Amino acid sequence: MISEIHRHGQDIEKGSSLGRDAWLRLKKNYLAMASLWFFVAIVAVCYVLPLFPFVPDPNITHPDLQSQPAFTSATSMEGHDVFYLLGSDHLGRDIFARILYGGRVSLFVGFLATAVSLTIGVIYGAVSGYTGGRVDAVMMRFVDILYALPFMIIVIILTTYFGNNLWLLFVCIGAVEWLTMSRIVRGQVISLKNQEFVEAARSLGLSRWRIIFRHLIPNTVGPVIVYTTLTVPAVMRLEAILSFLGLGVQPPNASWGSLIKEGADRMASDPGLLVYPAIVFGLTLFSLNFLGDGLRDALDPKSSKD
Amino acid sequence: MDPAPLRLCVIFFALAATVFQTSCRKERKVDIATREKILLLGNGGEPKALDPHLVSSVGDANILRSLLEGLTTFHPSDDTKHEPGVAERWEANDDFTEWKFFLRNNAKWSNGDPVTAHDFVYSYNRILHPEMAAPYASMLYFLKNGEAYNKEEITDFAEVGVKAVNDHLLVCTMERPTPFLPDVVKHTTWLPVHQPTIEKYGTMTEAFTDWQKPGNHVGNGSFQLTDWRINAHVKVRRNPHYWDAENVKPNGINFYPIPNSYTEEKAFRNGLLHYTYIIPSNMISRYREENDPSLRSETYAGVYFYRCNTNQKPTDNADFRRALAYAINQETIVKYVKMGGEQPAYGYTPPSEVGYKPPNVIGHDPEKAKAFLKKAGYESGEDVPEFTVLFNTTEEHKSIAVAIQDMWKKTLGIDVKIQNQEWKVFQQTLFDMKYDVGRAGWIGDYSDPTTFLGMWQTGDSNNYTGWSNEEYDRLLKESSFARNPEERYRILAEAESILLDELPILPIYWYTRVYLISPDVKNWHPLLLDNHPYKHIDLIPSGESGKEEG
Repeated sequence: MISEIHRHGQDIEKGSSLGRDAWLRLKKNYLAMASLWFFVAIVAVCYVLPLFPFVPDPNITHPDLQSQPAFTSATSMEGHDVFYLLGSDHLGRDIFARILYGGRVSLFVGFLATAVSLTIGVIYGAVSGYTGGRVDAVMMRFVDILYALPFMIIVIILTTYFGNNLWLLFVCIGAVEWLTMSRIVRGQVISLKNQEFVEAARSLGLSRWRIIFRHLIPNTVGPVIVYTTLTVPAVMRLEAILSFLGLGVQPPNASWGSLIKEGADRMASDPGLLVYPAIVFGLTLFSLNFLGDGLRDALDPKSSKD
Repeated sequence: MDPAPLRLCVIFFALAATVFQTSCRKERKVDIATREKILLLGNGGEPKALDPHLVSSVGDANILRSLLEGLTTFHPSDDTKHEPGVAERWEANDDFTEWKFFLRNNAKWSNGDPVTAHDFVYSYNRILHPEMAAPYASMLYFLKNGEAYNKEEITDFAEVGVKAVNDHLLVCTMERPTPFLPDVVKHTTWLPVHQPTIEKYGTMTEAFTDWQKPGNHVGNGSFQLTDWRINAHVKVRRNPHYWDAENVKPNGINFYPIPNSYTEEKAFRNGLLHYTYIIPSNMISRYREENDPSLRSETYAGVYFYRCNTNQKPTDNADFRRALAYAINQETIVKYVKMGGEQPAYGYTPPSEVGYKPPNVIGHDPEKAKAFLKKAGYESGEDVPEFTVLFNTTEEHKSIAVAIQDMWKKTLGIDVKIQNQEWKVFQQTLFDMKYDVGRAGWIGDYSDPTTFLGMWQTGDSNNYTGWSNEEYDRLLKESSFARNPEERYRILAEAESILLDELPILPIYWYTRVYLISPDVKNWHPLLLDNHPYKHIDLIPSGESGKEEG
């Protein structure tokens, strides 16, 4: 008997989950797939490659070997043999190594701040949307107030009080970026909360928190994922702006933003300093945006026809 | 090609060509300014104040030099000479302990009031008053009892050695023989302020009141303040009441605070400035290659160094400071980081022509540095408590800090942090001594080694390191009673060797002034202390500057 059903089961067309459907749709979008692999490759290169000894220390200076072109090998006055894959900057530091290490900072900021904004935004939005009424009104007005505060000024005030600190940067960016996320989740939850499955859950006597976390939030995952992939590049761009203003990472460490700033200052004499990090940063942002677009189409096929 | 896009293309190129042509023909901002005789100067950071008793930076002094005039004033081509200012003539007694300044009758404030000897007495009382807490009050310690009054040892200003005998005779009694006083009184701190204006907007000792705002500001210089917008510009225009108004050549000056040297260089290249405060090091070689006459490089009596906070660990230990000093490779910084023809600082006082021979004992010596680190009680650099090098936000200071950070790491194995602060905040942090190691530059105020050595006396208002050495203080006092200049210089050199042994400061290089100046600017002569009296500077269009760059 059992084996009979089993055999039948194989004949029946296999049920397809939402995730699998989305993945199949995404696979057909070549641009999004290329972006996905490019992004995975960038992350891998930034985090894995510096573990090998052939990537030099990004902060070691060889002042006598400044502004070398790409593919240079030279011996410094201290007798070190160095090879510059993408040339060197004004203090003889290796640009390739600095891009890799800068990428670690930029990507780390991107992911961590996004995680912060994701956690706060989803919980805040879901609670606000599900509770509704006066609580919702108060919670959303609070979001409006935070929206109205100028971000740059907050960051500048915070950095003068607490000093320049990378962790502060995460907190600042995360604390600003959750606002939109909470609005999106709230909207989703409001449209879902009167549907039958929620009514069913409620009639089974599930607690409010269980309904929010087990039934509502999983159903908002589509827009949340899409928005997350778009938040990562936004956050990396914010970090770049802050580093550009000298409020981000402190020298000698670098992020892509601070490398681009240094490069922009010296572009008249040393174009490579600007071009290489800008290309890497630009491509990463593009890939994340294309991936986000692709995911939106994949998770919500109706919207792609707009 | 489809005709429609083709037509669009044609229109686009035609438009682009017109725009390009008009942009070429457009007169540059400097050309207009030259015609109107307005000098456009890059001036480093945003001024802290336009009050001579509150400022201590070079950029602020540059603006005040146009707004106020002292007893004597600057010579257009020689900083060791002085020209008559408010004082027509002056004389000293035999041992240079009493100076008489005879003030001209026609000196006026910009509101028409006469400038009298009483204005100077009032100003010297203001800067020396303990409640004023003027950062640069020590420049007036030359006056008898000036120091005592400033440090609240006496409370009656009448005991301080400055008297107005009548409206036009000022008598200064000195603490010690001061043969170079007419040179000293040119300095910003010795400039007069207008009593009714100060007291209209606050009390005498109140700092940062509205009196320094445009419209309120009253000065006695060749120019008066007409506009001051934070982080945008300070504009000064001709002062019709100035006693020598007919000989003032420019009609006005615009000072632009541009802390980023790259921005400043671009502004100069695009015809927005007559003169840049500095030039980024990577552009120097380019201007040299092109043999551009705008690039000038001149000797400048100044020293670039790091201050150490001697009140706290780890920089309270002299051996540790010695280790830091000997681990800095000054030649590398000068040759590869600054690249402007600076001299590596083997001592503190810059080499000068006056005959003073400073001891040159500092220099890169990794072995010595390591030995001193051991002597300071640290087996390796990793045992050293964390400390930070603080600098004000500019690319040059950052490059030097990063280079030195790496030298300390390579030689001593110390991991230091570096941090930058905006110029105004930076000055306050230094003043409050909330730093470990701080970047500093000192430009001579007058042509004498004491302008460099005086600040390291115990409790001097520009010391900021907490360093104090009795023998050093004694030698400096003794030097002013020396029988002849040779004797005096010998004593000062002895004092400097104490400074260079204890090293509350880490000398890095001696300045060379490298800057860009438009060929339209005439009478801008090289000066050792770089104090240009603006009234002599003329603007005449030179044929070359008319053409558009690139």
